[in-house]
Amino acid sequence: MPSVLVANSHFFAAGLLATLQISAISILCGTAIGVVVALLRYLRVPVVARVCALYVELMQGAPLLVVLLFCYFALPALLAYKTSAYWASVLSFSIFIGAYLSEDIRSGLRSVNPKLIQAGLASGLTYLQVLRLIVLPIGIRTVIPPIIGQYVRLIKFTSVASIINVQELTGNALLVNARVFEPALILSFVAIVYLVVCQAMSLFGRWLTARFAVRT
Amino acid sequence: MIDIQNVSKSYGDIPILQDCSLSVKRGEVVVICGPSGSGKSTLIKCVNGLEPYQSGSIKVAGTEVGARHTNLPRLRAKIGMVFQSFELYPHLSVLDNVMLAQIHVLRRSRDEARERAMALLTRVGLAERAHRMPVDLSGGQQQRVAIARTLALDPDAMLLDEPTSALDPEMVSEVLDVITALARDGMTMMVVTHEMGFARRVADRVIFMDQGRVLEDAPKDAFFAAPRSPRAREFLARILAH
Amino acid sequence: MHRDLIVSGFITTVELASISLVLATILGVVIGTCGATGARGPRVFALGWVELIRSIPLLIHMYIWYMALAMLRLPAFACATLALSIYSSAYVAEVVRAGILGLPAGQAKAGLACGLTEFQTLRLIVYPQVVRRILPSLASVFSQLIKDSSLASVIAVTDITYQAGALDGLTFRTFEVYAMTLVLYLVLVSIVNRLLGMLVGASIRSSTHASTAKPSKELRDA
Repeated sequence: MPSVLVANSHFFAAGLLATLQISAISILCGTAIGVVVALLRYLRVPVVARVCALYVELMQGAPLLVVLLFCYFALPALLAYKTSAYWASVLSFSIFIGAYLSEDIRSGLRSVNPKLIQAGLASGLTYLQVLRLIVLPIGIRTVIPPIIGQYVRLIKFTSVASIINVQELTGNALLVNARVFEPALILSFVAIVYLVVCQAMSLFGRWLTARFAVRT
Repeated sequence: MIDIQNVSKSYGDIPILQDCSLSVKRGEVVVICGPSGSGKSTLIKCVNGLEPYQSGSIKVAGTEVGARHTNLPRLRAKIGMVFQSFELYPHLSVLDNVMLAQIHVLRRSRDEARERAMALLTRVGLAERAHRMPVDLSGGQQQRVAIARTLALDPDAMLLDEPTSALDPEMVSEVLDVITALARDGMTMMVVTHEMGFARRVADRVIFMDQGRVLEDAPKDAFFAAPRSPRAREFLARILAH
Repeated sequence: MHRDLIVSGFITTVELASISLVLATILGVVIGTCGATGARGPRVFALGWVELIRSIPLLIHMYIWYMALAMLRLPAFACATLALSIYSSAYVAEVVRAGILGLPAGQAKAGLACGLTEFQTLRLIVYPQVVRRILPSLASVFSQLIKDSSLASVIAVTDITYQAGALDGLTFRTFEVYAMTLVLYLVLVSIVNRLLGMLVGASIRSSTHASTAKPSKELRDA
């Protein structure tokens, strides 16, 4: 193992940990946002559904970097609050991925056979119960693969946080490189780490699909 | 028990039901037949409020189905419905399918629900498949589970919408046997079906519908011996020719 | 002066995205076709390569070209173009591969049976049909490419995002600057989506027109 990597292993480890933390928090928040927005649009709640649609369109047309810079520079300036780079990143990643997730989840909800909903209603369940017990479980399990795909995207996105000096994997790697100047080695190493993490998430996704996919 | 009076329904300009009236007494088995598009399925879906209707009245045990203040979930808990395409919940096991409504509609405990579910699955002959997923069952087996699922709520009446139309011929009889047993046990039923042999055996009355209207409403023997309307005669002739 | 910055940034973004788009498409078609062949070597290589490229964040791609391969002395724009092209080509390859595999096998076989070489079969029969099917997916890859191009600002390419930062530093009207940047990208992406949408519509119309064409007179009278 090249000495540069070993000597700075604590930096890389700390960076990887931060990357995983940011990913985890953003995944959780983003999924929560995705489910809520998908439900609001699926149920066609007046006014709110339209606002959600605009939110999704906005996030899908915007580059992640710009959303990040917006959350770090522009929003605090407008609303006069202070934020750390870390939380600005988590916020921007969550709202960014939340929009994409909501689209996938919404298509999952819509793919549930309306006759199944009728069967649930016919047995005396209220519409809310049908949503909770039938539509949501089936809808979300149908779209596990695209959802995991978004999670993999998110893990890659976290590297962008390095631009505003968040000390995740990429950021720390660049700091180390600034000192020892071994860009080829360090960047290859970082690339491999991302590869491993992304593949691990994909493998997890495959297991999840095998275990939970709804067979019809 | 079920009282349908002058019910009309349309989708925009297209009339689906035109001035339909019929009654089902407690314990009666009424078979509804007719060509495709005659509105038979829509009519029974109006009975449990799955389809709205524009005029007329449907009373189930005295409760008006179309009234604004009617608690539809509570009403539907008393009327079971069996669908042509079974519609078992694919993400739940057979047992969970039969337990779901018991737990969430009738608020039974899990143990009680499980006991009832197993008893019903035994009654329809599928106890050993209790832990399988619906997709692993044949069509006939799925429909029998669907019937068990409906019975789990102890309904006062059952609506069956072409319960055997989606089945391969070899499986039709296993399902009809279950339905026949239910009828013999005194269940009030409205059955939409093409199975005239079954109707002859089990029905008390036969209703013939065409183009949204009720054209015949006669006791079984009268209907099969001498249907009054020409359309019904035509229909019977074609069906019985098979 | 401010307007010049915005305009030059916009132009740079358009240039970067256009060139990367062309390169990504060429490379992606090649790799995607390899991924769809029966020959084990090219297929395994293509699949592995796509997985590798897609699992590495674009930012790392950019840094690799800009820093790790600095001995090539490529200007920042070239580094960004190469990184963006290669990264996007992996996505194009996936779309192309799926498109080719989605074509009924009989099509290619029919071509070979007529005596066409494999390349001719690809060129005359497979690609034209695949192109029509994959246009919608390609459109989304392309609009993603435009958004991804914003990362070039990190390696000092003077695109929209870079100029936004500069403008913010000059004017301190942070909110307006970044709001405007968002709007610029939204406009650019929606223009491209609309153009591609028209392209998809035109190709659908032309393909249905072709399928309802009557056989030529000579064939009928033969």
